[in-house]
Amino acid sequence: MKKYTIGFLLFLFAVAVNAQQKGTILVKNGTVLTITNGTLENTDVLIKDGVISKIGKGLSAPKGSKTIDASGMFVMPGIIDAHSHIALDAVNEATSPVTAEVWTGDALNPMDVSIYRALAGGVTISHAMHGSANAIGGQCETIKHRYGTVDPDVIRMQGAPRTIKFALGENPTRVHGGGNRILPRTRMGVEAVFRNSFSEAQEYMKAWEVYKANKDKKGFKGVAPEYDLRLETLADILRGEIIIHCHSYRADEIYMLMQVCRDFGIKRLVFQHVNEGFKVAPELAEFGAMASVFSDWWAYKFEVYYSTAYNAAILTENGVVTSINSDSGELIRHLYHEAGKTQKYGGLSDDQALAMITINPAKQLGIEKRVGSIEEGKDGDIAIFKNHPLSIYTIPMYTIVDGVVEFDRQTDEDDMRIYADARETIDVTLHSTVSHSEDRCMQNTEFLFRD
Amino acid sequence: MKEQMPVYLRLTVLMLLMVTATFTAYSQNEELAPVSRAYVIRNANIIQAPGRKIDKGAILIRNGIIQSVGNTVNIPADAIIIEADSLYVYAGFIDGLSNTGVPKPKDENQDKKVKDPGNPPNNIAGIEPHRDVRNLLDPADKSIPDMRAIGFTAAHTVPHGRMLPGQGAIILLAGNSPDELVYKGPVSMFSQLHGAAGIYPNTVMGVMAKYRELYRQADQAKSYQKRYIQDASGMERPKSDRVLEAFYPVIDRSMPVAFKAEKVLDIQRVFSLKNELGFNLILGEVKEGWDITDKIKTSGAKVFLSLDLPELKEEKKAKADSGKVEEKEKRKTEVDLERERLELRKEEMIRKFYTQPALFASEGIIHGFSTLEAKSKDIKNHLSKLVENGLSEDAALAALTTSPAQLLGLSATMGSIDNGKLANLVISDKPYFNKESKVKYVFVDGRKFELEDKPKKKHSDEEDVEVSGTWSYTTETPQGAGTGNIVITGEPGNYSGTITGSFSGDENVLTNITVDGKELSFSFSMNVGGDTLNIDVSVTVDGNTFEGSMTAGVHGSFPIEGERLPNK
Repeated sequence: MKKYTIGFLLFLFAVAVNAQQKGTILVKNGTVLTITNGTLENTDVLIKDGVISKIGKGLSAPKGSKTIDASGMFVMPGIIDAHSHIALDAVNEATSPVTAEVWTGDALNPMDVSIYRALAGGVTISHAMHGSANAIGGQCETIKHRYGTVDPDVIRMQGAPRTIKFALGENPTRVHGGGNRILPRTRMGVEAVFRNSFSEAQEYMKAWEVYKANKDKKGFKGVAPEYDLRLETLADILRGEIIIHCHSYRADEIYMLMQVCRDFGIKRLVFQHVNEGFKVAPELAEFGAMASVFSDWWAYKFEVYYSTAYNAAILTENGVVTSINSDSGELIRHLYHEAGKTQKYGGLSDDQALAMITINPAKQLGIEKRVGSIEEGKDGDIAIFKNHPLSIYTIPMYTIVDGVVEFDRQTDEDDMRIYADARETIDVTLHSTVSHSEDRCMQNTEFLFRD
Repeated sequence: MKEQMPVYLRLTVLMLLMVTATFTAYSQNEELAPVSRAYVIRNANIIQAPGRKIDKGAILIRNGIIQSVGNTVNIPADAIIIEADSLYVYAGFIDGLSNTGVPKPKDENQDKKVKDPGNPPNNIAGIEPHRDVRNLLDPADKSIPDMRAIGFTAAHTVPHGRMLPGQGAIILLAGNSPDELVYKGPVSMFSQLHGAAGIYPNTVMGVMAKYRELYRQADQAKSYQKRYIQDASGMERPKSDRVLEAFYPVIDRSMPVAFKAEKVLDIQRVFSLKNELGFNLILGEVKEGWDITDKIKTSGAKVFLSLDLPELKEEKKAKADSGKVEEKEKRKTEVDLERERLELRKEEMIRKFYTQPALFASEGIIHGFSTLEAKSKDIKNHLSKLVENGLSEDAALAALTTSPAQLLGLSATMGSIDNGKLANLVISDKPYFNKESKVKYVFVDGRKFELEDKPKKKHSDEEDVEVSGTWSYTTETPQGAGTGNIVITGEPGNYSGTITGSFSGDENVLTNITVDGKELSFSFSMNVGGDTLNIDVSVTVDGNTFEGSMTAGVHGSFPIEGERLPNK
């Protein structure tokens, strides 16, 4: 009998293949951290058909819609991660130093349970990036964490601008120069790859212009330039249609890429990791380049030794739009802690610190008009916390995407996989024999941490 | 190296001689011409097509054609009579997508070093859409008698390979030369989302980008060629490019793309390409389509479901008092409960595979079956299990006969037992989908094949397989496809070995090599960017091949398959 009950429960966990759902929900009586308009005490937020329709007091929910009582809780915009690789079946097309034509949007995996884990940390949007093996990597996809679907189109954030991954330094030189003995073998080589690629794209654009201008002329005998998806993409960067997100550490190279972009008239530039960003912060601000950094992670390879946890604060105080990212399926669950570290290291205000994981990454992804703050007319993406999200005692309670509750701590199931593996060997011991290696100094204190 | 050459050559010649010798003997046996090309099968239960049955009927075949079928037929003097009392006759099965008749190439291009991995030659990158499967057929390939023995008489067969392996053809599963096998010339451009190992395009992203680019380049080249044919004077000569030219009939929609897409995400990726580029689509080897039946319907694709299914445990007959027994058992630990929950979810997942054809039938999606990944020895059993899981016998038969005939444009000559159609028949001793049934005769193109009963081996405890040797393997990971060699030496109970891989280039030592029956498992650790990654491999060995999975801790589990290399 018992077996059957579990069976029925699992049936309830049915997979939805639907269009992008929009919900209506009223969040009552919370402390609303709007990010762009201060903190509003005892305030209601009404999301109607996926959009924040009203912020105020004493709002009532439309008939039949859900209400969450957020009394004593903190309501903030859904957290945005500007650098992640979750929900992807492939990350690096590492076979060529330039792969502008590939796109992580082709490799999206909406069934990755990491999406749910991110939701459990209040994250509603992430930037599913290509890896950093190539000087010019692939195009990336901005995704909304709508979990419970097998349809990749459901998690795409429609209307988000195109972005592309670039990479400087050790990764591309190691993969291509070291591994395959081709350009780029040095940091100079990486610059050469950029300049060559953009120059080729300029020639390609010009050749097409000439062809288009002449093809309808009488007696035209010419050939069109051969279609090249890589150069098409590079041309779109030159046209300003794609935002560059560049993996970077060293200040000299960061400066180099800004020079390259200046020479080719490229304005939309975001540096990722950018551990030595603090050395060129005024230059970044002058260019209008943005920075997406780790709170306090470095020394994992030679070019990342010269770092400081004050990086985010220094960049911010110099006027650089700065975000804190995860680059990890684990870190993504506690970006609020990561943002909190900027208060310890640099003394940023609550709003400044929270901006690092909300409106600033939104700006870097070009989606700040729709998300990143709690404002009427913006998407209904909201995270609700018990205790202030920058407090070490904070607990994510609800995560809402487009007015739909995607994470609710009270109904959080153990097995959130969308598809089980029909051919797996079930090995429970794998998950239960950690005690030997685990830190035992906290054993038998678990009861202290239950809420 | 040079000194070894003559020995190697001598061996090759010797092996060639041996192969030719057996082949000749085999084909002579096959070639004994029957005394007549007329057959009458009488007193049989004839299932002409799903839902059309004749009890105690007869069929007259002559010159490879069904001449007459009914309660009685005129029996010509020269006809060979088959007394089919109590036997069941069906139209020969049609395999919607397979490699039948195409030998698997030996470790293709594996050792070829490419100077620039970002720009490899097309043949090494797996871009060979101009290859014609007719040139790759081997009438002596074991897959032909294996598939025929379970009732398949025709197949849409395609080359082995990666992204664009070549063009498919319709073959009949009997013949002494490639041309005798071929029923219909190139009928499809076969495509897969498989990347090449270590070279471009390596990942699914690379393959899809390359696919778009080739398609659009072909479109461009095609229209230029059209202009050139109209008025060549003063125009640059169009480049000859067989890869792009292979796309022309696809762009014209006179030839469909046959795309292998097993998993739910791959199917949707193929739909993206179809929607962007606009080709006609045959969707083959579908394994996980149950959640996207609407998308499949709107795509208009012709669908073939895979007969490679995960293992379904036979249901144990529960004892009436099992509940009480359970209570007496010791209390379950957290671990036991966890295992139960995980087992249950796995079981439910497996069930989805077995109920899928019934679901498709109920949703009105006309579909056939494909066997690219299926092992012929499992197929008949799988078909019975599909029927046990809700697929009606008529629907199962339709998916093997009338539906594939319709989807592949073969209805005029195949798919049912009707006058004028090809004499492709399956005759079994019990209703085919009955687990106990055995195929007694198969007719292909009017040629009779009688199948002998093989005494079933009583297998008690399976003997452990011998695993020593050098194995080449391939694996698909989120970082792309990988290849390498596994060397296992020593004796049963005392194996040791190493593994190399295209990911790191290092050689790693295998630990915990164990063999249990056909199951081989081992572990190794490799260094990735300074971190040690522990990897567990567990595979099932079948003769000189294996298939299984590779688990890399939190990074998940990936499919791996391999092949034992001949001793050098």
